[in-house]
This record gives sequence, structure tokens and C-alpha cells, in this order.
Amino acid sequence: MHPIEVSQIAKSFGDTQAVVDVSFDVKGGEIFGLLGPNGAGKTTAIRIVLDIFQPDRGKVSILGGPMSEDKKDRIGYMPEERGLYQDIPLERCLLYLASLKGTPDQKARKTLNDYLERFDLAEHKSKKVKELSKGMQQKAQIINTLLHQPELIIIDEPFTALDPLNLQLVKDVMQELRAQGVTIIMSTHQMQQVEELCDRILLINDGINVLYGNLDEIRQRFSGHAVMVRTGSNLPELPGVKDISSHNGDFKLTLMEDTTPQDVLKTLTARDIILEKFEIAVPTLSEIFIRVIEEGDAK
Amino acid sequence: MNKIWRVALYEYRRNVFKKSFLFTLLSIPLMVAFSVGLGFVLTSLENNDLPVGYIDQAHVMDEAIPAPVSGQSEPVIFISFQSENEARASLEAQEIQAYYVLPSDYLETRRIELVYAKKPGENAVRQWYDFLQINLLSDQPEEIASRTASGTDVTVRSLDGKRTMADSGPTFGNFMPVFISLAFLALILMSSGFLMGAVAEEKENRTMEIVVTSISPLQLIGGKLLGVIAIGLTLLVTWGLIVLAGVLAARQMGIGWFQDLGMDWSVVLATAAIAVPSYVLVSALMITIGTMVTSTQEGQSFSSIFIIFHMIPLYVGVAFLKNPANSLAVTLSLLPFTSLMTIAMRNLFYSVPAWQVAVSVCVQTLGALGAIWLASRAFRLGMLRYGQRLRWRRLFQSRQLGE
Repeated sequence: MHPIEVSQIAKSFGDTQAVVDVSFDVKGGEIFGLLGPNGAGKTTAIRIVLDIFQPDRGKVSILGGPMSEDKKDRIGYMPEERGLYQDIPLERCLLYLASLKGTPDQKARKTLNDYLERFDLAEHKSKKVKELSKGMQQKAQIINTLLHQPELIIIDEPFTALDPLNLQLVKDVMQELRAQGVTIIMSTHQMQQVEELCDRILLINDGINVLYGNLDEIRQRFSGHAVMVRTGSNLPELPGVKDISSHNGDFKLTLMEDTTPQDVLKTLTARDIILEKFEIAVPTLSEIFIRVIEEGDAK
Repeated sequence: MNKIWRVALYEYRRNVFKKSFLFTLLSIPLMVAFSVGLGFVLTSLENNDLPVGYIDQAHVMDEAIPAPVSGQSEPVIFISFQSENEARASLEAQEIQAYYVLPSDYLETRRIELVYAKKPGENAVRQWYDFLQINLLSDQPEEIASRTASGTDVTVRSLDGKRTMADSGPTFGNFMPVFISLAFLALILMSSGFLMGAVAEEKENRTMEIVVTSISPLQLIGGKLLGVIAIGLTLLVTWGLIVLAGVLAARQMGIGWFQDLGMDWSVVLATAAIAVPSYVLVSALMITIGTMVTSTQEGQSFSSIFIIFHMIPLYVGVAFLKNPANSLAVTLSLLPFTSLMTIAMRNLFYSVPAWQVAVSVCVQTLGALGAIWLASRAFRLGMLRYGQRLRWRRLFQSRQLGE
């Protein structure tokens, strides 16, 4: 049994259908990307998983069954709407929230000090939360999610407001947690980070699954319709090639549905075009995202 | 520690360790102490303990008998002068504060002259008339003279015979149930205000989603409620101790109003029976408001409406004093918000029928249950509406409950 199993959930608010039909599993010890355009239903799906909302239909199993009060202590959640008590010192705020997760005070203090050091917030722990910068509050929010050492983490847009240094720090922490067997669901619009971190993804659009599976397999699935070519000269029009565009000195040849890269290679060599580079173009996740969403909207 | 206690402790510490709380804690006793102290100062300024002279040309006080002095007043010495010149010299030497001249035809004319440089003290004037009266009655038996001089103690009794008080007005003991009701009222209004603020704060800080994925809504609200009750009790106990110290000091000083502390415990029990569901009712409504508004400030302006409702009996109290059984008094005794204070005020002069207390308890209890139902709906619908106000109409739309 996986830490999270979601089967055909649906949820509407009045006349608005936020989630139509979403299903996915999250395996233990993986980083799972929950992606989708704004208003796709990601946050609603997360709230259903966490039992904040009751689904209209469908089933959710979390950490081996339905959500219970005991399980809340084993889950770390960083919601889309960031929230910390603004009028109290950072340390007191984080220790209180950790205590609500059932963490003993001594243990929470030790873990907190370690995280504050690592996230460069130790000297700010006595400041009121509202006195911290946006980036510092974001790091504090991440610490709050991790402080009780959960086995399942659900984190919404973890990289917002972070500079490159802190962004790398958060990525390192997430990779360390994965290595320790912690399961992470990450919802973000930063496709580059998804490509670097996620093992599998689910792309939701208009409340339904549109893309789901292993990230490498998905990219392979979407490759093959384009090749990257570098030549000493300009390229003529080629049969089976729908479009030729320039990318950093290379040409990207977008192929027609019934054309294979081998067909193009044969054509190029037959025309005595000197090739410095010929490789199958693997699309970025961002390109896949745009393509899938646009195709979905066109339908 | 149970999570509910953690929430309670956090809520308590967050409020009690604020400077503003210390101000709330001390401001009311200080205000009362200032008012009482000012009264004592003004009264003492009106008194003057210097002797008072008199020239008895009517010979009604040839063998002067000192008058009994009541209360905590110091007896003023009355000095007899043979001539007005002697009295005037003494007045100018500031040995006496004033002197009276009883002319030879005093018994026929009732006329007396008072001579002073500065108006004599109230105590001196009062004691002079007691002194004069008892001496005029010197030929009567001492018992009659003394009784006439000290006046009559009248006890006012209600028609049902269950309420008695002196004609000088209710004693501190008579007022105790009203004070207890006021204390309950203060607890209800302050606690509910704190509670509304505590819930609204979660929305304002956008922490609701984090908190409800850590503990249940019941633990959250229960913990906040306990914390807020503890805050209210801290205030009440502190105020109670200050009042107790003040009352003991007043009794020690012999102030008459504080001598009788006996109270009707059945009234206190009736007050408590109404106060408990009233507390739940107002608290649940404050939770409802807290989850509906967008900020603590907005919530406070809503909660002031409830304070006004609670104060209605104080505004129309004169009507209860004239007729504690009139229809307005009965109606307000049964309604939510007004019942607690109305019944306590009516009980001061009248024994409120048991059926009215019972109906009031039922009404408050039903109201409390309805308010809890409303609060649970508001909490589910409003908890994640950061920066958005939840409209009352939506609370009653059944299809929204799934949110």
C-alpha cells in the first residue's frame, strides 16, 4: 500500500466543479510533483487528501487508510496560503506549532535550533514574525513543515520568494529527506525544479488527470517529434518536417506525425548536408506542460 | 500534554503577558478605588472637627447633655460661652469653627443665629442639631430622649415577604447578587471578545489551514475556550480579591453600608444557572463572528452589538425598580442577552418566580445549542476564506455545507 492513494475524487463548490475526476498514488520515499495551471484543482485535491474538504465522491487513503487525528502528527503541510503568528517571536511560534504536532518540547527545541542554523535564521529567532522579510518567512514556513520530522510532506510552492542560494538549500533538504525515506508531494509552477527533484508527476487541468507517471518516461513519450541539428549552413525545406526553428545556433526540426528521426537523418545525408550534431530533442517539462494544456484546451 | 491544553496555554500566555492585559486587570479596580477614594476625600473636606461654640441666652442647655454620635464621625466638642464677645474672640483666634446664638426668645421664635468666618463642617452642623434636640428633651425620660434623637430604623419588606432592606436603601449584601451578575456579565463579554479575537486571529494570520491539519477543530475551539475562560477567571479572581480587601477595609472602618454581607443564595444559584448557557451562547456567536470576519478589528465592531444588547436592562432598570413584575421586566427576563441582568436586578426588590427562571434557563440553553450549530457551520465555511467575509445568508444555504 502506498502512502497516498487517491481514487476518482470529485468536488464542487456551488456551481463550480473544482475537481472532476482525479486519481493518483504516491509511492513511499519519492518526490511527487502535482502540477497544473492556476485553477486546475491542485489545492482542492490537496485539501481533500488532507481531509480539510470532504470529497463529493471518490476515495482517499493516506498512510494506510482514512485520515485520523493521530496521522496528522505524521504529516507536514505547507499550504498555498502562508501563515504564521505575526505578533509573536519566531521561535515561540514554531515551537507552539510543533507542539500541536505532538512533538516533545526538548526534541522540538533541538531540531529547531539545527534548522534555524541551517536556514540562517538563528539570529532572528527572537524577532516577531512580522519583522522578518518575505524570504525569511518562507524559510520559517518550511522549517515549520519539517520541524516535527514527518514521514509525509505536502508542500505547495516551496520555492516562492527564495533567492538562488536558499532555493538550492531547500532542494538539498528535500533530496536529503527523500534519501531518508520521507515521501514528498510538491505542487509548484517552477518546472525546472520539478525536473530536478521529482520522480513522478501528475498534471491536472480543469479538475481531471491529463498526464501522470514517471518523469523520464513522460519526457521520452513526448520526445521523437523533434530533432536538434547543427550544420555549417542553412537548412532547406525537408519532407516530413513541419517546422524549422533556430535554438542557440542549432536548428530544431519539428516532425510530422508519420515521420521518424531516422527518415530525417536519411534525407539530410542524401542531400550531402554536413552534420555537426544530430540528436533527438527531449522536450522540457515546461514544453510538455504547455503542449498538453493547449491540446486539452483545444479539445 | 493534551493538545487542547497546549492551545489553552498558548491563548492564555499570549493575552495575559501583554501590557494591555495588565491595564485591563488594574484599570477597573483603580477606577472604582479612585471613585470611592474621591468620595471619601470630598466628604472629609466637608467635615471640620474644630469645636463649635454656643451662647445659650434661652437657658435650654444650662446642664448640657452630650448627644450620641452615630457612624464613624468624630464627636465635635460644643463649648458654652457666656457672652458673644468671648465666642467671637475664640472664633477669631481660630479655636472654634463657628458659634450659635440661642436668643432668649428661642423657644417662642425657633430662631437661632450662626456666626462663622468660614462655613462650618457638615458634621458640626449635623451634630449641633442632635445636641440641641437631646437637650431640648432633657426633661423627658432618657429612653425617649435618646430614641427621639437617634430616629427610627424602618425595614422595607416586599409584598411576598421574601425581600427586606433598610429604608436607607439596599445594603452591600442586598446588592451582592447584582454584583455577581455584573461579574458574570463582565466575564461573558470579555471572554467572548477574547474568543472572537482568538478565532479571527487565526484567519488574519492565515494559520487556520496549518492548525486544522495539526489538531481537530474541536480541539482548536475547545482549547481557545479554555484559555479564554482562564483569562476571564484571572480577571475575576483579581478583581474579587481587590473588592474583598476593599470591603474588609470598609467594614474595619465601620462604614455602615458594608456591615451586612448576608445574601440570598437561591438568587445566586439562579444567576449561575442562567449565566452558564448564556456564556455558551455568546461564546458560540463570537466564534461564528470570528470565522466570518476578515480581521480582529472588524470582529470587534460586530461584537459591540452584543454588548449593547446585554446593557439594555441597565438602561431600562428604572422601570424594574418601580414595578419588578411588569411585562417589560418579564419579557427581558426570558430573552437571550438581557435575561441575566434583568433577573438579577428584579431580584433586588422582588422574588422572581421560579417558572420565569426555569423558562429563561431553557431559552438560554436552546439558544446556546442553536449558536453552537451555527458556529460549527460558520467554522467549516469560513475558516479558509482568508481576506473574505462570509455572509450570513451563506450560513443558512444547505448546499454550502460540503465546503
